[in-house]
Amino acid sequence: MRAEPLLSIRGLSKIFGEVPVVDRVDLAVTAGEIVILVGPSGAGKSTLLRCVNRIEIPSEGEVLLDGTNMAGELRNGKLIPDPPTATARKRRRIGMVFQRFNLFAHLTALDNVAIGPRRVLGMNHVDAHALAAEQLARVRLSEHAMKRPAQLSGGQQQRVAIARAMAMRPVLMLFDEPTSALDPELVGEVLEVIRALAQDGMTMLVVTHEMQFAREVGTRVLFMDSGRILEDAAPIAFFATPEHPRAREFLRRIHTPVAA
Amino acid sequence: MPDFDWAVMWYAAPYMVQGAVVTLEISICALALGTLVGLVCGLLSVSDLAIPKAIVRGYVYFVRGTPALVQIFLVYFALPRIGFELSAFSSGVVALAFNSGGFISEIVRAGLQSIDVGQTEAALSIGMTNRQSILFILLPQSLRRITPPLTNEVITLVKSSSLLSVISITELTRSAQVIIAERFTPFELYAELAVYYLVIISVLAWFSEYVEKKLA
Repeated sequence: MRAEPLLSIRGLSKIFGEVPVVDRVDLAVTAGEIVILVGPSGAGKSTLLRCVNRIEIPSEGEVLLDGTNMAGELRNGKLIPDPPTATARKRRRIGMVFQRFNLFAHLTALDNVAIGPRRVLGMNHVDAHALAAEQLARVRLSEHAMKRPAQLSGGQQQRVAIARAMAMRPVLMLFDEPTSALDPELVGEVLEVIRALAQDGMTMLVVTHEMQFAREVGTRVLFMDSGRILEDAAPIAFFATPEHPRAREFLRRIHTPVAA
Repeated sequence: MPDFDWAVMWYAAPYMVQGAVVTLEISICALALGTLVGLVCGLLSVSDLAIPKAIVRGYVYFVRGTPALVQIFLVYFALPRIGFELSAFSSGVVALAFNSGGFISEIVRAGLQSIDVGQTEAALSIGMTNRQSILFILLPQSLRRITPPLTNEVITLVKSSSLLSVISITELTRSAQVIIAERFTPFELYAELAVYYLVIISVLAWFSEYVEKKLA
């Protein structure tokens, strides 16, 4: 018996000019899955992720979260596109973490986390700050709560960004190369936080080049190239015996030795 | 300079101080109104509201494309024809605010658009609407970048207020011209006038630097 998917992507394409960066992708993600997207740069991984919460508007296809169409309401078989406020409301349920952190530069770490609950969920100041403090504690940054982003290391900024997304109590988290902009010694602390979220059962889509992390934390690996998902496998199987020639080529090229 | 008439400068000083007060009053009123107009127009021009955006574009096009002097005459002579009876002072304020509002709108728009697009994406990703993202994320961050060009605009506004002498407002420039007409000493009084403007604008520039540091 298979559970209803939390996230369904059907026939999703994103075309820039005439180039399909994402090309008719179908994907179903069940609650609790940790889906890792790997592939060469320009494969469409980030664009696919950005289409899920409509930071990028898909050219074709549909995205359903818990059965709710992210693009609009279905009436008499016709899709009535959402007004911007409805899109914003639907986005609350999906958290996103960016490669470049994108913390709000004018706000302290605490306010970065609190501003969503405060302004979007309409919590009062005290409750929003209590929630933010709790989320910062989860990423072990309580002592840095009053610092501005510029005063934090990249790893600390990314952990604040994760806390900011989690404060909205999302049902799905999207990670867009969360460690690619970090100095090597700071990668571990961020992956540790993501791993903890995974252990708490958060459903997530992670674009990453950290193959060790993919193998250990992922429940499923998708290999993308030229906008298509070419391989969809369990991590152990994917890294041991990749089926698609381009996946084999990709793994050979990155030559990251992955301990068995 | 044997011919330099220092006495007339002393004679003119109290009149010109009165004129300077009028210049400051007009400038402050026009700046307040122009900033309000400019801020609203600037925010609208980055919003996703198509019709207000088009109106703002037309407004900015007109303000940029016509001389301030023409705008002043238009406000002064045209508004009464369509039923708005304004005093010379109010006409002056409206004309200058109309002019600076257009430029401030562009300053605000450029300031908002200079903020990294990642800030907007992060704001949208936590469920903010476009409006919330502009108000809570982009605007606060652009204030510091807006300050220097806004200072230039304030300085331009103060100097443009001298044009209001043509609609018989006795502001600083006209107060000097009145004495010139009486005593025939243009050199002395225009020199004195320049000093008055320099003092006002130096104070403004100093204040702007102070604000910029505060926002840092």
